[in-house]
Amino acid sequence: MTQDPLLKATTPSWMEAPSEDDIVISTRIRLARNITNYRFPRLQTEEEATLIQQKVTSLLASQQYRALPMDELSALERLVLVEKHMISPLLAKRKKGASLLIRQDEQVSVMVNEEDHLRIQSLCPGLQLQQAYDAANELDSQLEQQLEYAYDEKLGYLTTCPTNLGTGLRASVMLHLPALTLTNQMKQLIQTMPRLGMVVRGIYGEGSENLGNMYQVSNQITLGKSEADILEDLQAVAEKIILREQQAREQLVERAALTLEDRIFRSLGTLRYARTLTSEEAATCLSNVRLGINLGYIHDVSIATINQCMMLIQRGLLQQHTDATLQPEKRDLVRATLLREQLTESHTEEHNNGEKGEDIV
Amino acid sequence: MHCEHCQQREAAIVMTTMNNGQKTKQHLCHECATNLQTFHVELQDATPLQQLLTTWFGTPAWQQQEQKEQHTTACSHCQLTFQQFLKDGKFGCPSCYDAFHDELPPLLKRLQSDIEHVGKVPHVVNEKMSLKKRIELIRQTMKTAVEEERFEDAAKLRDEARALEAQLLGGDNV
Repeated sequence: MTQDPLLKATTPSWMEAPSEDDIVISTRIRLARNITNYRFPRLQTEEEATLIQQKVTSLLASQQYRALPMDELSALERLVLVEKHMISPLLAKRKKGASLLIRQDEQVSVMVNEEDHLRIQSLCPGLQLQQAYDAANELDSQLEQQLEYAYDEKLGYLTTCPTNLGTGLRASVMLHLPALTLTNQMKQLIQTMPRLGMVVRGIYGEGSENLGNMYQVSNQITLGKSEADILEDLQAVAEKIILREQQAREQLVERAALTLEDRIFRSLGTLRYARTLTSEEAATCLSNVRLGINLGYIHDVSIATINQCMMLIQRGLLQQHTDATLQPEKRDLVRATLLREQLTESHTEEHNNGEKGEDIV
Repeated sequence: MHCEHCQQREAAIVMTTMNNGQKTKQHLCHECATNLQTFHVELQDATPLQQLLTTWFGTPAWQQQEQKEQHTTACSHCQLTFQQFLKDGKFGCPSCYDAFHDELPPLLKRLQSDIEHVGKVPHVVNEKMSLKKRIELIRQTMKTAVEEERFEDAAKLRDEARALEAQLLGGDNV
């Protein structure tokens, strides 16, 4: 069997198009849906799980969705999907009866038998809440004609966890916030969010630390608010955070230009010359270089390269890329080698295009 | 001996906590003990939902007794009890929302902005709702027809309503 392109060590399409905006990385929409008269995945039997899996798979097969059943994938392949943010760690664990169904263009996908029977997801680069929602909603409206959803006139879509009840909608925006982190403004921001019905987390979802200054802002409330209001409020909050990050960046440039520039180029130096790198250090350096590109300090590295590196430094993708099982201490070495290659290649490429100034400055 | 929590006041209480079958003992002062009792779960890596639930149900002992009695009711479809739900904050099947209907409002008020859905309605449900409205309307006209002693009209309307009702019930099986 040939390997699905999604399992290869490449940048997922939702990250591919380098967005104009240098703070927002991507937008994600998730709709939680369940089928009436069936127990939720956490209590279902293997037969029930398989039945739902088959039903949804056959419904979507006609619409050019590929099926990736979890029990047909290796542990490494499942890890790669988690690292690419295509599936959740929970789905990777469930295996029997659990699948990822993904549309040809990889923008829309469905996790079957995760916490809920269906988790419709849609991913877009940059800040595109409405577009991402429309894509997920379109599939949802198609599916509801063939599946009888668990829905209550008062409570809306019924979900395993009451935190998703109502619209079942979780909209989130991934943001790169190095200046707010550096100026210690994140803690305060994280604390004020719940009052707005929003939540800020590190990129790896619930309970994880932020890695490389990447944060995810999402709505917390799903009941008593319409989809349009949820999206509108999240858009407003995201815009406010972007503005604050921009202001923090301006202030940093104004007040500590040399320190900032030094930090950025040291990071680039580390990435280009280090012999071993942990994923944490690599993520921090990549974040600094990304900021350096955004601020116009670095010209010979592209955002696309940084995105690619961000993906590749992760444990699973690193092994998939080098096609080998790596011991933890070996990983740091391979990671450093890989980053060196990625960043020096782009260096030489651009260097021929008349890049002269860097050494003279 | 000093309180293990504040390290200042004299310890007066031994608090035993069970965590995944492991017992841990803590020597605490009165003040810390009362404080810890309500948020000790928060100190272990609890999800926000669990925090909310424990704070909500972290009520005095005499009230806990009452609540326990309520929580023994189980969902008829998946046999989940409300007590089990409280453990991880997750329901077992869509029918749980019916079974624990009375417990929902206080829970949802804490988790959500409101207790009623105002968003998307599935197409099928929308059709059913408009059907229900039409039946109601026919029934009302039927009533006035009876009051005005137009029995023939009323009979016609009754048949019409019955036909729609059959359609509504039939739709349930699809």
